[in-house]
Amino acid sequence: MSVSAPLLTIDNLCFDFDGQTEKTVNALELSVKKGEIVCILGASGCGKTTVLNLIAGLLKPKSGSINMHAEAGKKNSIGYIFQSDPLFPWRTVEGNLMLAFDLNKSLDRNRAKETMQQYLSMFHLNSQILTKYPTQLSGGMRQRVSIIQSLMFDPELLLLDEPFSALDYYTKLSLEEEFCQLVKEKNKAAILVTHDIEEAVSMGTRAFIMSGGKLAREFHIKQETQGLDNTRGTEEFAKHYREIWSELKTIISG
Amino acid sequence: METSATTKLVFAQRLLYPLPMVVFVLVWHFFTQGNKERQFIFSSPEKVWEALERTIISGELLTNCQVTVTEAVAGFLLGTTIGAIIGLALWYSKLVAQISKPYITALATVPIFALAPVVISWFGIDIYSKIALAFLSTVSVAIVQSYQGAMSVEKRFLRLMQVAGATRWQTFRLVVVPSSIIWVLNAMKLNIGLALMGAFIGEFISSEHGLGYMIVKASGLYDQATVFAGVIALIVIALALTFVIEQIENRLMRWKTV
Repeated sequence: MSVSAPLLTIDNLCFDFDGQTEKTVNALELSVKKGEIVCILGASGCGKTTVLNLIAGLLKPKSGSINMHAEAGKKNSIGYIFQSDPLFPWRTVEGNLMLAFDLNKSLDRNRAKETMQQYLSMFHLNSQILTKYPTQLSGGMRQRVSIIQSLMFDPELLLLDEPFSALDYYTKLSLEEEFCQLVKEKNKAAILVTHDIEEAVSMGTRAFIMSGGKLAREFHIKQETQGLDNTRGTEEFAKHYREIWSELKTIISG
Repeated sequence: METSATTKLVFAQRLLYPLPMVVFVLVWHFFTQGNKERQFIFSSPEKVWEALERTIISGELLTNCQVTVTEAVAGFLLGTTIGAIIGLALWYSKLVAQISKPYITALATVPIFALAPVVISWFGIDIYSKIALAFLSTVSVAIVQSYQGAMSVEKRFLRLMQVAGATRWQTFRLVVVPSSIIWVLNAMKLNIGLALMGAFIGEFISSEHGLGYMIVKASGLYDQATVFAGVIALIVIALALTFVIEQIENRLMRWKTV
């Protein structure tokens, strides 16, 4: 696969929940390349999470296609990071992070532990945390562990459903930055569903506004601003923010 | 400061624990003291103490306790294990779960006292019929509780396993079973009393050993003191078995208390 070839392509995707007359997802088109963070914004209930669930295979499309052009032989090419972390409370942090190994015994245990240590340091977590249970962690720590748990499956595409919305502002900023760095360093791709325009502008390479079951409007965000919180005050940041907000306002107000 | 207050509270609680029992014994003592008729009907704390001493020294109480505990524990282990396996396994098939529902409800609602004569005629009057009755008393509770547990697994855990490409067996083993443990433990707590009751009913109807037999025999002789001694033994057994279950719970649910 060439560098510029898309990792994910979605063509004419349609979906509706049984008994609904209006389509939740209606002829949606999208392609995502490696290294990209694509943000989806939109009013509540517009179908943003449904799109992620369709890509993750949690829902079956009524028509259209979703194609992942993942590396050959890869079992898990998609990782999903939810708003409420799915850490098992009965397992220690290490037990939670080694879930990928438990599900695929053909992986090398020592290698998996090395990878886990790398991610822990990337997300500024001490290895003492490994013996703790999720209930002993703060919200930010839990979300970091949850991201690492997803990464342990070595996915090429990460789906994020408002993962930082419940965190305090400082934790949110540092996690956004760490995540952008990760996508760049590990050459992954991500689709982020968010209500936060600031988050979309600071993290995204592209942002979409979803409306009427479609990605109605696309915004190209300049790469240099991605994930750097010191760019939040720049004129360029403000320009993207204003553009997205003005469009969102028009869509929401009807 | 706060620690000292907590310690004082715990100390006060420990002192207060036996208070209701002490009050009950005192009321009983003064109510029956010096009144032969009342002592015949209600016995008295002194007579019960004498009966306990006598049956312990003669070995009668311990032998009968041993029989009842064996029957109840065997029935409890069989009923809870088989019930938990069935209840958890029903998670695999919604169709089977739906079909089984009325049968499980029927089994749960049939009074064990009604089944006892039939079970005794099938298994005889020795230990096996009592184990069967303890089993029947506990199995439905274990099925219902475990199934509830399996169906109450948080959606976010199941979604994670689905995205991770886990097989149904992996999801069952790594998510459904561990997250249902609390329900199985609750079933165990309920089942301790039910297993004792099942074994006791069997002994009460037809038996040559056990606390049920001892109580029926004493009751036939108007020996109320020995009846109360048997009841006290049953209470002590139930408390001891509940304590064991609580220790298992503390061990298995360590993550809840860290």
